[in-house]
Amino acid sequence: MLTCREIISTLEMLKSENLDVRTVTLGINLLDCAGKDPASVRRRITERILGLAGNFVEICDTVGQKYGIPVVNKRIAVSPIAVVGAALSPEHLVEVAQSLDAVAREARVDFIGGFSALVEKGMARGDRALIAAIPEALSTTERVCASVNVASTRAGINMDAVLLMGKTVKRAALLTADRDGIACTKLCIFANIPEDIPFMAGAYLGIGEADAVINVGVSGPGVVKKAIERALESNPDMDLGNVSELIKKTAYKVTRVGELIGREVADQLKIHFGVVDLSLAPTPHVGDSVGEIFQSLGLRAIGVPGTTAALALLNDAVKKGGAFASSRVGGLSGAFIPVSEDLNISEAVREGHLCLEKLEAITSVCSVGLDMVALPGDISEETISAIIADEMAIGVVNNKTTATRLIPVPGKKPGESAYFGGLMGHSTIISVNNAAGDNPFIRRGGMIPAPIHSLRN
Amino acid sequence: MNKAILSILGRDRPGIVAAVSRALTDRNCNIENVSQTMLQKEFAGIFIVSMPPAMSVEDLHGEMTSSLSPLELHVYTKPCEGGEDACEAENVEPFVITTKGPDRKGLVAGIAEVIARHGVNITNLQAVFKGGNDPGDNIMIYEVDLPSTFDRSDLAKDLRAEAEALDLEISIQHRNIFEAIHRI
Repeated sequence: MLTCREIISTLEMLKSENLDVRTVTLGINLLDCAGKDPASVRRRITERILGLAGNFVEICDTVGQKYGIPVVNKRIAVSPIAVVGAALSPEHLVEVAQSLDAVAREARVDFIGGFSALVEKGMARGDRALIAAIPEALSTTERVCASVNVASTRAGINMDAVLLMGKTVKRAALLTADRDGIACTKLCIFANIPEDIPFMAGAYLGIGEADAVINVGVSGPGVVKKAIERALESNPDMDLGNVSELIKKTAYKVTRVGELIGREVADQLKIHFGVVDLSLAPTPHVGDSVGEIFQSLGLRAIGVPGTTAALALLNDAVKKGGAFASSRVGGLSGAFIPVSEDLNISEAVREGHLCLEKLEAITSVCSVGLDMVALPGDISEETISAIIADEMAIGVVNNKTTATRLIPVPGKKPGESAYFGGLMGHSTIISVNNAAGDNPFIRRGGMIPAPIHSLRN
Repeated sequence: MNKAILSILGRDRPGIVAAVSRALTDRNCNIENVSQTMLQKEFAGIFIVSMPPAMSVEDLHGEMTSSLSPLELHVYTKPCEGGEDACEAENVEPFVITTKGPDRKGLVAGIAEVIARHGVNITNLQAVFKGGNDPGDNIMIYEVDLPSTFDRSDLAKDLRAEAEALDLEISIQHRNIFEAIHRI
């Protein structure tokens, strides 16, 4: 028999703490759609996706209703298009992106990820073509997301690719200058990209994955925040060891919800269940923010001294609770700090508590990286590349995933506001200090070698 | 098998279960199932017992009443019919219907009537009405078994309409969500 307390606390999590399944992502393998004829590649891709995803959204909604848990986003991730379309030109790859966009609309998913290339050790012909296609692909589509992995702990950092991505980001922003550079909100540049991320913009289906797979991204920063507040109200002297225990238990509950929903969607689609990505992913709404958790813990705002330590505690406790709840954990799994997507973090930037340097520092203890950071429009390509390189170095040396989603907002200066809409939110443009002058270091190119794995200090 | 169901009601205090079970043992009756609950300060217990072949339900009622009425406990008895676990034949899915909202007369009657109209069995009901308008103080939790072939959408639609008419917030969820969150 269920107890009254169990039922009431579950309803509280749903009704007032924004517990939801942030995304159910259907991974679809497109490798056998490859070919030299652009029209037939596009046709095969469309048929494959619609064949598998025809009733995907409906099933997610039915399962969500059955358990009373909203599945907020339904998404598709495909094999890296740089591999599927390796024989195609950049112009034809833009058309592939447009086909993906049309398919996403028809399948009623909000994003489709996988316009991606893996170039950490070198760029092949298809990779170059895909990167060249990214700015136009993202500015002429709504739902397509792109990602490029430019570094890994095993390979090091491909600085030629980093330099190229600085240019690509800038170009993508300029092509969508009338919408504050929105194309860049759909472009992630990674170190150590996982093959099974359900979250956008980084989702793609890894080469080592099956024909089709369901990955689930859970969220729940509001649930964690409320749990901390309730505990501190009844025990104001609670120490951080106990706070960590509390976050673990809460992460456990949130993860179990994700796994329950994911497995049932996978069963109904008769495909294989992949992983739960146990991340704290915020939305631009009050009560659904990672930034607010820092305030519940007693910091004035995210960004003030103590932030890195608090985030380290939060991130670790989330992973521990989630890992106990599910044996199928993957993706990014940690606390996200996407600036514009989190009302509280965006506010911390506006009030000057959080600067670019502190943001970079805290990415060394959490997922994912410099995410949804609005930069001044006049920032140079080289400076963008240099910021990317710094973030990649943190991931490569610490053997973790890091990424950047940087938006140089055309025509706007630090302190002004950029608006991206919907889940992408809005943000104050952050200053980039010491960026004047040129940067010959970045222009040298080549590889920064993989780090040594002994003598760790 | 000679079986009876006893229902015992009375003001709750320590020793009720001990008194009932002692009285049954003294009369050579064997307890097969017991469920007891407390509502506010009242005790309610249901006992299924097997009796010696010569004993009738009326005999048992008389004996138990004489033992328990000094303790101000009320005894009701009836013969226990049919086989065991008669209702396990169908494949069912457990759902939980929860309502919250200001207290008023007719809330249980309204919701239970909709559930009955759809031929659905309530397997457990907990309701707390502390009165007043705080929705958190007035909660009903119905556990129901829905046949796996049952179309839930009609029941859900009727329940939502009734809840709206009664000014209640209602949720209808598969039981597994609560188990997933709270049980290891």
